[in-house]
Amino acid sequence: MNDQAKQESNSPIIDVRRIEKIFPGPVVALRDFFITVERGEVLVIIGPSGSGKSTFLRCLNGLEEIDAGTIRIDGISLDENEANRLAIRRKIGMVFQSFNLFPHLTVLGNVDLAQRLVQKKSRRQAAEFSRRLLEQVGLADMEDRYPHQLSGGQQQRVAIARALAMMPKIMLFDEATSALDPEMIGEVLDVMRQLARDGMTMVVVTHEMGFAREVSDRILFMDKGRLVEEGESQTFFRNPRHARTREFLQQIL
Amino acid sequence: MKWSPRVENRLVDVAKFVVVLTACAYLLLRGSAGIGYNWQWQTIPSYLLTVDGGHLRPGPLLRGLLVTLEITFFSLLLSALIGLGVALLRLSGSFVGRLLARVYLETIRNTPLLVQIFFLYFVMAPILDIGRFATGVLALSLFEGAYASEIIRAGIVAVPIGQWEAAHALGLRSFDTYRAVIIPQAMRRILPPLTSQAVSLLKDSALVSTIAVYELTMEGRTIIAETFLTFEVWFTVAAIYLVVALFLSFVADQAGKYLRIS
Repeated sequence: MNDQAKQESNSPIIDVRRIEKIFPGPVVALRDFFITVERGEVLVIIGPSGSGKSTFLRCLNGLEEIDAGTIRIDGISLDENEANRLAIRRKIGMVFQSFNLFPHLTVLGNVDLAQRLVQKKSRRQAAEFSRRLLEQVGLADMEDRYPHQLSGGQQQRVAIARALAMMPKIMLFDEATSALDPEMIGEVLDVMRQLARDGMTMVVVTHEMGFAREVSDRILFMDKGRLVEEGESQTFFRNPRHARTREFLQQIL
Repeated sequence: MKWSPRVENRLVDVAKFVVVLTACAYLLLRGSAGIGYNWQWQTIPSYLLTVDGGHLRPGPLLRGLLVTLEITFFSLLLSALIGLGVALLRLSGSFVGRLLARVYLETIRNTPLLVQIFFLYFVMAPILDIGRFATGVLALSLFEGAYASEIIRAGIVAVPIGQWEAAHALGLRSFDTYRAVIIPQAMRRILPPLTSQAVSLLKDSALVSTIAVYELTMEGRTIIAETFLTFEVWFTVAAIYLVVALFLSFVADQAGKYLRIS
């Protein structure tokens, strides 16, 4: 391994420094926010609504533009450069609260699309890989269905397969279970749990505290656009240091 | 015999309709008799179809209809392309692009179509060296393109923002996002009103008779100039437009129903 490669693999895969995001209004969504995430780490972000959790996730793959600070993903700087932005998006898979499946395409078509348009795979190659992914998320027999024919939990698992199809190094989950009926949350969390076990780097915004405690390596508590407290998940829930964190945890646990 | 109230109402409606229609026909006939008009319906079929050496050939009116349909067809294609281009310009991040689109839209929508046709025919056609048919198609396309672009833009804007985000998050380029994700979904909202545009085009195409394109209206005027069958020919020309427009509307309705279901 040469020096540069060694440095790459040792450096954090996500390196966010002093970013700021201001929405028109002006509303400060993120202020002086910094975080690093190591390869293979599972980071869970919690906090009250409007605390900037989702905005932060959306900044990581450039769905929102930052107003100050720097973001580096796997050594690439997220900046004005369009090629860098596309390269970063191809390293990051994202799962949305509202699934955002493409309604005019079948399940297989959804998972195939980016493989064919971005990775330029042949129809057969793409379908082959898609079927493996659909099997992985437990939907092997659903490939010809359309999104509206699936339950919420099934749709979200297709969305996960679609994101995995790009073989991302990082997966972002933006309240992936918040829009689901209670009985369907488990099947989606199972898929996420398996991903974490397989060593995927994950940044997860969630209200599922049981999942956070069980799966995450580190927990981060945000409030009003700032990082209030972060800690190893085992100790975080037992000994929150900040009064604001304790207050929040008391309300939800 | 006893009819249900619904059937009875329907019958009363039909009776009223017949009375109104008869009154109109009576007034028309009395009026034409008053000016001494000599009706000669028997000659009209030969302007639709002529027998030439044992073969049935389309007469001037049907040939004119064919040209009208050609103009409508090409203009519809071209106006859809122009509409798509202008819609994308208006939605683009480029200030100059949005400005250009805006200038085009305001110019087209705030000048009479007839003036646009004359402008293209007398000013642009000699410069660009294009014929009358092409000039007519171009004028209609530019005119309808402005309206088509608003339809297309509305269809694109109606696609939920999450669809853009999902496509971007997968690393799709703008072009692929439009082509594979946004446009196919927008089509469902765009196609029915765009088909209705075909009806407008069909009717507006009558205006290119002013630059001597031998479409339906122009053929009608020519026949009248030769034969003075003013009433019969205009009745026939209007009836032909009516039948074709009703047919196109029906197709548009069916397309709309089909797209809503699927």
